[in-house]
Amino acid sequence: MFDFDATMPLMAVQFLLLTVLLNAVFYKPLTKALDERDAYIRNNKATAKDSIAKAESIVKEYEAQIAAARKESQSIVEKAQAEAREITAQKIAEAQQAVQTQKEQAAQEIQQQKETALATLEQQVDSLSRQILEKILGPELVK
Amino acid sequence: MEILGGLTILNTFTLAELEVGEHFLWKIGNYTVHGQVFLVSWIVIGVLLIASLAATRNIQTVPGGIQNFMEYALEFIRDLTRNQLGEKEYRPWVPFVGTLFLFIFVSNWGGALIPWKLIKLPSGELAAPTNDINTTVALALLTSLAYFYAGFRKKGLGYFKKYIEPTPILLPIAILEDFTKPLSLSFRLFGNILADELVVAVLVLLVPLFIPLPVMALGLFTSAIQALVFATLAGAYIHEALEGHGE
Repeated sequence: MFDFDATMPLMAVQFLLLTVLLNAVFYKPLTKALDERDAYIRNNKATAKDSIAKAESIVKEYEAQIAAARKESQSIVEKAQAEAREITAQKIAEAQQAVQTQKEQAAQEIQQQKETALATLEQQVDSLSRQILEKILGPELVK
Repeated sequence: MEILGGLTILNTFTLAELEVGEHFLWKIGNYTVHGQVFLVSWIVIGVLLIASLAATRNIQTVPGGIQNFMEYALEFIRDLTRNQLGEKEYRPWVPFVGTLFLFIFVSNWGGALIPWKLIKLPSGELAAPTNDINTTVALALLTSLAYFYAGFRKKGLGYFKKYIEPTPILLPIAILEDFTKPLSLSFRLFGNILADELVVAVLVLLVPLFIPLPVMALGLFTSAIQALVFATLAGAYIHEALEGHGE
């Protein structure tokens, strides 16, 4: 069972030879393939991460733009509303003023007409009273 | 009496027999080598080389088939080596530790799974190369050389400091370790594989059918574990030589 002979050194040499051969046809090419795949995956991952970062920055930029646009539109709306309010106030004031002047004019005219009417009335009072008297008392008595 | 007679008749059929210590000897000059060990080891080497060549003939980024399988094997070996040697040092030692694992593993399983009995040799029998003490001692001595080489290359002669580093009192034990390491490595592998094959052979001799199957399955398990243990310990020894006691 324990008979050592030339098998031992020959087996050692053969094993070293196998190591060298396997190193050439197995370990080196496959290790290279594994490392290359690792590098490939790492690269792709890095690129993907870059893309994600870029996309996120673009999204942020767009969001900022949207926020700015919203603010701008709000300010425009506010300005327009303020303008509209100002215009309505102005128009209302104008209309009130116009109404006031018309009213005053009308009142003045009425006063004037009243005065003329009263004047004419006063003028006619004498003749009318005479006529009334004539009718009641008869023309002979009046004279 | 008739039953006993039946038993003797049964015994005349040798479905299996035990042969230990018989070899198919080749003579090279003044030296003899165990031919059956080399025949099977060449088959093992052939299997490994063909599988490697098939896997690396057309390497693709997305692996499939044999390439996927061999990449799985390589990742297993790399993990094993990295666990023992650490991230920094493991790369140059992957081929050595990995080949130890692959060679022992394929030898063990080849010895257990391939019906070698069908091939008749003039003497001896084909079996796993690892059930010959010469093979395991060769691998264990190579492991010793490997860790000495690793230590010397990293620290030069300062490697010897590790023998007296915590305290010189332990010097004899430290020296003894260099002998016990290859001894335990080789005998553990040799003993396990030979014992497994003997147990299976004995059981097959006693009960030819079905009963030995669980033991054979256990043998497969042991074989795989022994390959793993050998490679792991080789990695651990190399790591120890690289790190030394101080760290």
